[in-house]
Amino acid sequence: MTNDHYLILSYFVCATLSVVLGTLAYLFFRHPFAALATATSQNRLRSALKRLFPLGLVFPAVLGFVSVSYISCNRTSYEEIVQSRAYLFSKNQEQFSSILLSIVTAVLVWDVVIIFVLKYVQNRARRPAE
Amino acid sequence: MSAGLSALLILVAFSLIVALIVFFALRASLRELLRNTVRFPAGVTFYLRSFLVVIFLSALSAAIGESFDLKSDARFMEYVWKVAEGLSSVLERSLWFVAIYAVIVTILIATLKIKNDE
Repeated sequence: MTNDHYLILSYFVCATLSVVLGTLAYLFFRHPFAALATATSQNRLRSALKRLFPLGLVFPAVLGFVSVSYISCNRTSYEEIVQSRAYLFSKNQEQFSSILLSIVTAVLVWDVVIIFVLKYVQNRARRPAE
Repeated sequence: MSAGLSALLILVAFSLIVALIVFFALRASLRELLRNTVRFPAGVTFYLRSFLVVIFLSALSAAIGESFDLKSDARFMEYVWKVAEGLSSVLERSLWFVAIYAVIVTILIATLKIKNDE
């Protein structure tokens, strides 16, 4: 396999991996998140949260993937980039690492969102029936 | 399998072991803390799962991001030093993310617990 072919193949494999990992993260959190969203007992908020949640995990994963650039100080042209297999491999490592890091960041952001949801549910429960 | 790839896999294994140790060391007390704070079982599950994801993926991302670009004639100890350097990154990143998670859980407790105690 030439370096050119390796670059094309690895790039699309990493792109697919980013979507798969984002989706797996969503599936892992789906049930507890749905239960929490349902607890808000407000249709619009529940619907918005349920629609935002998958996007809020898959998009960051893809963002992590696309944020890695093959162009660096030492390699500015395509020929220079495909010159070394080790360089391409290190970029794949960087992409994978960036995908994982973005998912972690997204999960922490959702943790904060859930604090607001829980607080909202708590306030509603304490409010006397109108 | 090249020596660089073997070293990378060893580092990944170490990072998973570190994540496992941290997760199992904190899981029981974290669950108890969350049960006393969050009224919904789904909330407890969500925060426990997020802790699992945070600790494992942060350790794994640091390990995988480590580059083993050593010369072909590199000696055994050079690979050991490189793995140790990678392990340092794994521990540092895990520590930062656990700290951020701890801040979020503290905010969660401060926000919900005060009302529950009233």
